[in-house]
Amino acid sequence: MRRLTRRELALMLGAGALAGTRRAGASTPVVLPGVVGVAEAEARHGQPLSREQAGRAVAGAVAAAVGAESGAEAAKSLFAPSDTVGIKVNCLAGKALSPRVELVEALVDLIAGAGVDRRKIIVFDRSSRELEKAGFTIHPHGSPYRCVGTDNDYDRLPSSSGAIGSCFARIVSTECTALVSFGVVKDHDLAGVSAGMKNWYGVIHNPNKYHQNGCDPYIADVARHPFIRDKLRLTVLDGVVAQCHGGPAYRPGATFDLGVVAASTDPVAADLWAWQVIEAERKRRGMPTLEEAGRPVRFVATAAAEGLGVGDPDRLKVVSA
Amino acid sequence: MKIDRRQLVVLGAAGAAGALGPPLRGAAAPASPKAAGDKLTAREASWYKKLEEGRVECQLCPQKCTVADMERGMCGNRENRGGTYYTLVWGRACAVHVDPIEKKPFFHVMPGEQALSFSTAGCNVECKFCQNWEISQFRPEQVEAYDLPPRDLVAAAKRTGARLTAATYGEPVVFWEYVRDVAAAANAAGLKPTVVSNGFIQEEALREVAPSLAAIKVDLKGFREKYYEEQIRGKLEPVLKTLQVVQELGVWLEIVVLLVPTLNDSAEEIRDLSQWVRKNLGPDVPVHFTRFHPTYRLTDLPPTPIATLERSWDIGRQAGLNYVYLGNVPGHPGENTVCPGCGEILIRRVGFRVIANTLVDGACPKCQRKIPGVWK
Repeated sequence: MRRLTRRELALMLGAGALAGTRRAGASTPVVLPGVVGVAEAEARHGQPLSREQAGRAVAGAVAAAVGAESGAEAAKSLFAPSDTVGIKVNCLAGKALSPRVELVEALVDLIAGAGVDRRKIIVFDRSSRELEKAGFTIHPHGSPYRCVGTDNDYDRLPSSSGAIGSCFARIVSTECTALVSFGVVKDHDLAGVSAGMKNWYGVIHNPNKYHQNGCDPYIADVARHPFIRDKLRLTVLDGVVAQCHGGPAYRPGATFDLGVVAASTDPVAADLWAWQVIEAERKRRGMPTLEEAGRPVRFVATAAAEGLGVGDPDRLKVVSA
Repeated sequence: MKIDRRQLVVLGAAGAAGALGPPLRGAAAPASPKAAGDKLTAREASWYKKLEEGRVECQLCPQKCTVADMERGMCGNRENRGGTYYTLVWGRACAVHVDPIEKKPFFHVMPGEQALSFSTAGCNVECKFCQNWEISQFRPEQVEAYDLPPRDLVAAAKRTGARLTAATYGEPVVFWEYVRDVAAAANAAGLKPTVVSNGFIQEEALREVAPSLAAIKVDLKGFREKYYEEQIRGKLEPVLKTLQVVQELGVWLEIVVLLVPTLNDSAEEIRDLSQWVRKNLGPDVPVHFTRFHPTYRLTDLPPTPIATLERSWDIGRQAGLNYVYLGNVPGHPGENTVCPGCGEILIRRVGFRVIANTLVDGACPKCQRKIPGVWK
């Protein structure tokens, strides 16, 4: 049997065929449970993507995620001109392992193309400093889009969701009507995987409180808080370079050129896909599974049980752009 | 909200921005301490071990956090940077006030004296009823703070006439290196260093620092593991161990039990707690039963009924404890220190104020019974 390349593997994980789930753009945001759209992104480690490459990859992944003919059509099915859209990026690991600026900007273009005012598209993370370290330029006033750190602008009072009690970033609780998690595909030393859902730890004031027990049920509890659950439209994962070990910090020896961008309206499915990609790479390297390594990915099943998405590998459908 | 200077003074009467608020602005006070600014100063932590692949295990508290590179422990103020663990709050005080020692509360430690009280951000548990959550449940960069190294803090205490220091408000365990160094500076200056803690600390770290302290008050938050797991996110057993170690070390110890309606206030639980204290620590450790007020994540419960407090007061005394107090009920007789020998009222209090103190050299003036405590 021919050995698959990593990219082929990423595209095939989750059983490939998408049967009967494609549909035309809807007047309400599309949700396709279990569907992950994956598009090739040609860059290699350390190399930037061209604007065209980035645009093609993001549009392709998003279109595949919602069963649309194009990225523009997909964006219109997800966002309305009246929306204020927050794109939460995960810049903890610095430039080498954060969402690429060119990919995030491609998504901004896509959303703007759906009629959303660029001043109401907010790329954010927990601090301006981390954004800048990851290569983003702070744009506090929205030209060509807003890019800001939360920088301690949290709700005055905590609100609870399951086991967590947190003050949420006001960008999430108050400003935005629609949210996107833009993460990376990486291992996490406690949670097992840090991709789309773990990224939401960056919008609460006290993430340090919720790393016990593999971050479970806390990741799911944050994700099912109405501020996020009711506003989340899309998860996008920068899988141009992924990391199979040693996260959340950047570990050069554990990264690999996956060469894809993934997108899903199902946050659980997106993380399930990322998990499978990481496990596949670990297996290829002869490394133990995440469970064998002492960090089973518990939160995916918990999130699925909470109704946030599909956590069953048999129901994961990966659609290539 | 932007967490602003208000956070810094939220715990006391100080109102104006800048400096440390009125209590530290004595006529002799020199220039105010500097704001610590946004940049966190890291100092290598004293209690941790290095693990494989850049991880560390914190050995300060029983959470025993395993922390990956660039991550923090549950306390939020200790960070792994490339396999070395750092405290981010040494000398970074976010709350500083001069309080009566009765506010801690210590009732057997230098009554009526003032304590220069300080805290940093962060905590190693998450009490759903935390009264100081605006600093304890935040990370240091989220709360304004002052650059206040130990010698400056002690100098400030001297200027204000405080005779004690008190690491309090937040959780001193998570700034234990700072506590240690403040204690050394305070002792050298003739002040008495004290700590107000949840007692959730590993034994080795406790034994290293406790002997330099004049007194420790421990919040024994309940007497059921379930309560500790569900309401505190901690464990009871290590706290009981702390109480025993402090007692063994001969450091003055007082205990506070916050009675939360329906959660930890049953007569059976209070009886178990009181009997454990009597059996393991002796009859002379003061136990304060204090009144809960709804806050933070427990806003759906009423304040503790006075009847519940009084019932606990009775249970404690029936269990053989000599010094049982009630807290957060100003004017109640349960605030007074009474001679267990003859029943004479020795120290009369209203809230945090000492109205009368008739102790003579730490003894009852009527029957001459020695009353344990740190009186000078």
